[in-house]
Amino acid sequence: MPAESGSVLLVGVGGQGVVLSSAVAADAARRSGFDVKQSEVHGMSQRGGVVSSHLRYGPLVHSPLIGAGEADAVVALEWNEGVRAIPALRPGGTLIVSLDRIPPPSAFVDRHGGAVAYPAVAPDTLRRTVPDVRAADATSVAAAAGNARAMNSVLLGILSPLLPFPAEAWDGAIAANVPRAALEANRAAFAAGRALRFPAAPAPGTGRPRRRAPAEPPSVGSVDIVDAWCKGEDCAICVRACPEYVLGFEPDARPVRAVRPDACTACMLCEILCPDFAITVRRAAVPAGPSLVAAETT
Amino acid sequence: MTAKALAAATGIDYREHLRLPMMPHILCPGCGHGIVLKALLRAIRSLDLDWDRLAFVAGIGCSSRLVGYIDGCTLHTTHGRALTFATGLKLARPDLTVVVITGDGDGLAIGGNHLIHAARRDVDLACLLLNNETYGMTGGQVAPTTVPGSVSTTTPRGATEPPFDACALVTAAGASFVARGATSLPLELDTLIAAAIAHRGFSFVEIESDCPEYFGRYNRLGRAPEMLQQQRRRFDEVDETLAAKRFVGAPPHAGVPRLRTGVLHERKT
Amino acid sequence: MSQLVQGNEACARAAIASGCRFFAGYPITPSSEIGESMARLLPDVGGVFVQMEDEIASLGAVLGASLGGARALTATSGPGFTLMQEHIGYAALAEIPCVVVDVMRGGPSTGLPTRPSQGDVMQARWGTHGDHPVVALAPYSSAEVFELTSRAFALSERLRVPALVLYDEVIGHLRERVDIADVPLARGERPRPSVGPAAYEAYAPGPDLVPPLADFGRGYRFHVTGLTHDERGKPTDDPAIVGALHRRLQEKVVRARDDVVSVATVALEDAEVAIVAYGVAARAAERAVSDARARGLRAGLFRPRTLWPFPDAELRGLASRVRALVVAEMNLGQLLLEVERVAAGRTHVEPCLRADGTPLTPEDIGTAIGEVIGAAV
Repeated sequence: MPAESGSVLLVGVGGQGVVLSSAVAADAARRSGFDVKQSEVHGMSQRGGVVSSHLRYGPLVHSPLIGAGEADAVVALEWNEGVRAIPALRPGGTLIVSLDRIPPPSAFVDRHGGAVAYPAVAPDTLRRTVPDVRAADATSVAAAAGNARAMNSVLLGILSPLLPFPAEAWDGAIAANVPRAALEANRAAFAAGRALRFPAAPAPGTGRPRRRAPAEPPSVGSVDIVDAWCKGEDCAICVRACPEYVLGFEPDARPVRAVRPDACTACMLCEILCPDFAITVRRAAVPAGPSLVAAETT
Repeated sequence: MTAKALAAATGIDYREHLRLPMMPHILCPGCGHGIVLKALLRAIRSLDLDWDRLAFVAGIGCSSRLVGYIDGCTLHTTHGRALTFATGLKLARPDLTVVVITGDGDGLAIGGNHLIHAARRDVDLACLLLNNETYGMTGGQVAPTTVPGSVSTTTPRGATEPPFDACALVTAAGASFVARGATSLPLELDTLIAAAIAHRGFSFVEIESDCPEYFGRYNRLGRAPEMLQQQRRRFDEVDETLAAKRFVGAPPHAGVPRLRTGVLHERKT
Repeated sequence: MSQLVQGNEACARAAIASGCRFFAGYPITPSSEIGESMARLLPDVGGVFVQMEDEIASLGAVLGASLGGARALTATSGPGFTLMQEHIGYAALAEIPCVVVDVMRGGPSTGLPTRPSQGDVMQARWGTHGDHPVVALAPYSSAEVFELTSRAFALSERLRVPALVLYDEVIGHLRERVDIADVPLARGERPRPSVGPAAYEAYAPGPDLVPPLADFGRGYRFHVTGLTHDERGKPTDDPAIVGALHRRLQEKVVRARDDVVSVATVALEDAEVAIVAYGVAARAAERAVSDARARGLRAGLFRPRTLWPFPDAELRGLASRVRALVVAEMNLGQLLLEVERVAAGRTHVEPCLRADGTPLTPEDIGTAIGEVIGAAV
């Protein structure tokens, strides 16, 4: 990451602390003598909608917004949001991502413009597109440090060595922005994150998939449909609710079918909203590849 | 709340609590009531209640048909009178947890008197009133909660009477727990219903549900997905003071102040 | 030991003695003393009294309590009885035991709230819609109010039917000597399932056509509905199932007829003229019989203690051997229609009716006896 300027995109879902984390990082930049601009873009954050925060620092910054392919680092507090934000990374950028999975909000959100796919991706698979992935079970790390809710500080801790901000700047920023009651927990979480060590990014050319790449991991979720209970196209709540366009109708209209079964992220929306008890979502655990996940601390 | 409720929503096998020979249920495609039934089953699961000490009482109407699908002690009574049966059952059997399911016509029109008196007595019942602004079972007539201007078979030129605010009504009548939820916020429903059941005293949850088949069709509100989306906008980020004074600019549902969801009133007894 | 007991109080005491532990009601003259007595008596026996917001709610609460396992009672008068009709039909179809007392006053509408009448006889039979079984008992004294209230509980529980007790304002407010210890208490229990919860079907009839009834909240899970249903309680409009259900509901009462139907008689053995009367009119009729006998007229009394089902067989035999039946009732001819139906031309049927808010007198009935005997001579 360039020492003189940089761009960091923070993403997550409402309530995780994206905005606070961004404020801390921006304050650390300011304390380090940089000009800094920061801007939040939130959707329906109060009900768990998507939140992102753009942060740019340098000698002089005119706009806070980071265009596609411009981010030096993406910090994702939620797994799928991290996957979704990959197009923002510049080539060689770093994806810092939590393994926490918080499926989309409880009910209809505006569908996140189908342009960005929402694939069921295992951490190891990511390396094909992002050589430098630093994935951590941030909530567990934070819990071990004293408070699971400080997981956002764990991720800042992971981010911190990549940015040209001295440790005092980070600590001052945390102290100035985090509510007093949670301060110590966040300091400890930050320190724990900063101490995590990740496997080195592969050298250029070696990060491409090997010929005998492991098979794509199974889809994260699957959808069971009770055909006789589904009331078909006249309802269509599930079809319209699914953020991944997993469900659809054959020409004969009834019952609903999983037309893109591999895209299911087990977000549960269709099951929760199906008024006819016709859908059951089966969830599989995210297979976390050991080569990407922090396994040791120094 | 969301993450916790979602965890509760994961892994429940609804079929364990349904009368499978009765399924599929009779409700129209896209009817919101089934979403409420799911939330109710999740709420019961979250409270870890003994199914042999639970009873479900309903009146007449689409919403009231829900109890027939629950594999429990279920009582499908007469139009508007569910609360009277429930009151007798609870008084005779205080060991039972009694849940009442009613609708806007059942609970507020023909059963309005029973509703306010059950609230006044503060008898320990959990009453869920599913409000879809219409009489669905009889083909879409105007209801006591129909928003003025809405078309129904008995208001072909648009409803003119002001609707009830059910939550304000039962609060004034003495209910000790009053909440409002919506099928478009289904996981919040779990929390509200669970709190209502756990509350000692008369607890009331008005639940905004949708009738795409009649109300939606007559008022060109789209099918179920569109209605759910619109419904949600009725609750978001509304200045309550302005809403109460009807100063809020016209939401998609023209003429209605946007509604607050969540626990609106609680008095520990 | 005899006591002076009011009819309405006798009703309440009989209910308590019969195991009734739940009362829901709404005040209405001339039945209010029943609710007031229950409010006084129930707490001491661990029962529950609740005054509801109206009569519809009252019977609703009674039915809810009954499903919970309680023997339950409500009491009212004509206008309130009208409001209860939907729930009487519900109880008939859903087969929920309950006892409803109707202390009759002058009607229609608010009518004569403090005056006696026998105007609800047909309302008791046909007040609710659709075909349905009815059990209605008609006491004529405080002691009999005690006896028949107890009997109503027994029949209601055993047959899973709503049981009605009909008497008039005079009987309700009459205080007379009763030796309660001497009044026989009827016994009747609701049939209980002999199978476990998994095999239980709430509407699968036993040999007497009455389905066993489990309580709510004691391990058995079942559906109770006012929709026409199959043996598991599932709503259906299958004509075969619907037809069979409607017939069974009637037939279960017919099969128990010998326990349901009760008639008291006075001097019918050699009677030329039989008076048919119930309630307070029957008290006048007893006097009319003795007066007629004193005048050498062979009169007798046929007093149905069960109005519904109507004692067809008993009256048919009598109709074949008397010269006339005098129907004395305090309305413009309700039970009269039943008597005419059963007599079917076998004998002359003479109405002796009064609907002015005052009781029939022995003289009214004596005059009618004189007329039919004179006409026959």
